[in-house]
Amino acid sequence: MRKNPYKVLGVKEGASYDEIKKAYRELVKKYHPDRYRNNPLADLADEKMREINEAYEYLMKNAGGAYQYQSESYEYDNSNASKGGSYQAQYQSQQSSQYQGRQEYMDESEMERQVRAHINSGNLNEAQRILDRMRVRNASWYYLQGLVFLRRGWYDRGYSNIQRAVSMDPANYEYRNTLNSLNNQYYGYRQNPYYQNMYRRDYDMCQICGTLWCADSCCECMGGDLIRCC
Amino acid sequence: MFGYVEPDKPELKIRDFELFRGYYCGVCKSMGKRYGQVSRFSLNYDLAFLAVLLDSINGEKYDVRIERCIAHPIKKRCVVRNNRFVDYAADMNIVLTYYNLKDKWSDEKNLLGAFGSAVFRGAFKKVAKRHRAITERIESLLGELDRLEKEKCSSLDEAAEPFANIMREIFQCPCVESDDSRKVLGWLGYNMGKWIYILDAWDDMEQDARSGSYNPILAQFQYDGGDLGEFKAKIKERLDFSLTYSLSECEKAYALLGAVKSTGVLDNIFYSGLIMKTDKVLQGRCRKDEKESV
Repeated sequence: MRKNPYKVLGVKEGASYDEIKKAYRELVKKYHPDRYRNNPLADLADEKMREINEAYEYLMKNAGGAYQYQSESYEYDNSNASKGGSYQAQYQSQQSSQYQGRQEYMDESEMERQVRAHINSGNLNEAQRILDRMRVRNASWYYLQGLVFLRRGWYDRGYSNIQRAVSMDPANYEYRNTLNSLNNQYYGYRQNPYYQNMYRRDYDMCQICGTLWCADSCCECMGGDLIRCC
Repeated sequence: MFGYVEPDKPELKIRDFELFRGYYCGVCKSMGKRYGQVSRFSLNYDLAFLAVLLDSINGEKYDVRIERCIAHPIKKRCVVRNNRFVDYAADMNIVLTYYNLKDKWSDEKNLLGAFGSAVFRGAFKKVAKRHRAITERIESLLGELDRLEKEKCSSLDEAAEPFANIMREIFQCPCVESDDSRKVLGWLGYNMGKWIYILDAWDDMEQDARSGSYNPILAQFQYDGGDLGEFKAKIKERLDFSLTYSLSECEKAYALLGAVKSTGVLDNIFYSGLIMKTDKVLQGRCRKDEKESV
């Protein structure tokens, strides 16, 4: 059953291109696979993203806007979304390129591959079991252990493990990327527009008095006066 | 639960505030009606929030009445009535209160705990009959929590796990039909439980450092009896990360939940109320006993 595309995008029926586009962008930001990395709900977010993309595509085509749609196609690639998120694809490729350089540790790298597969499928206990069996505690071990913790919801340990992986192997793009993404989640939540709009812009009595006093002093410096009594 | 979940009141529309209070009064009255008047004293904000959250997924209209009540005899207030999620939140409130009081009695030999748990026993038995599976799981998780505390577990993440899982159980309400929604609610509950546990541990730190009782934060960061202010400043950033990250996961789950009503008050809580509370507690501006009432 197809859902009403207007409802999916949260716009009124007969909304203009710009309104649809704006709503679409907001939703892409909200359900972007990057936000749901290492998250057990990633599959649901992908599902949601697919729905949104379908609705957007449908509206753009059926409202006769196919041309506009193509020229304005958003950076979020539709074909990737339907396969389960651009992140996944990128992740896989990084993963495979990483292993090519490490032929000598065949058994260890095989274990790592298994751990990653288990993490991806959400089988955390199995991943943890293999990690416990591994002998070498190198940067990639700490990285994988960090991923398992994060996925479990153990953020404190997850973060310190990833941090450790980065400090052991600062050149590794994947580790740094994950660490950055964690920090981004943190700042992203703290700086959400709802929270930012509040109090910050308002002035309280103290600030008003302080400003007036400053202005008065400045005027007095220049030989004038703003507030007579002081 | 501890009453940490609150809307950011100044930012709330009057209409949304009335609605939130309507759920609060609804849970309170539902408890009174089914489990006796005494049970109503135990209510806090968190359960009202649970009722709003669970009810927000289904599109049924609100059944709001305007009624008087014992606590507010002069002015009539909105009350959400005949709602299975409100009843569910009331049940869970009984369960949590009962275990909390029982715990107080067995740990601290607190007389109020002994008296309270005796009063709540009847109500608890009724609830346990209705929600057998949940109460059983909660009980076993509480056993684990107790064990970790006795062992003086030195990992905050590990110590928080049982409580977070209790919240997961409670949020995965069996009255919600869709499996996907239950999964999302479970993850939301887990992260919220984690947040509450860490926040509560931070709040209790001074008291525990003085009395020498177990506190997961003091245990993890090996507090040696030095200046507590200095100690707090050193670890604040790290805890802030865990707390905020848990909240960001709650928010992500909330985004996937697709609430169709009460979004005014829920948005307010998820995007502003929770993080405000975090900052207040981290800065030590809010002790538990300073809770406001609706």
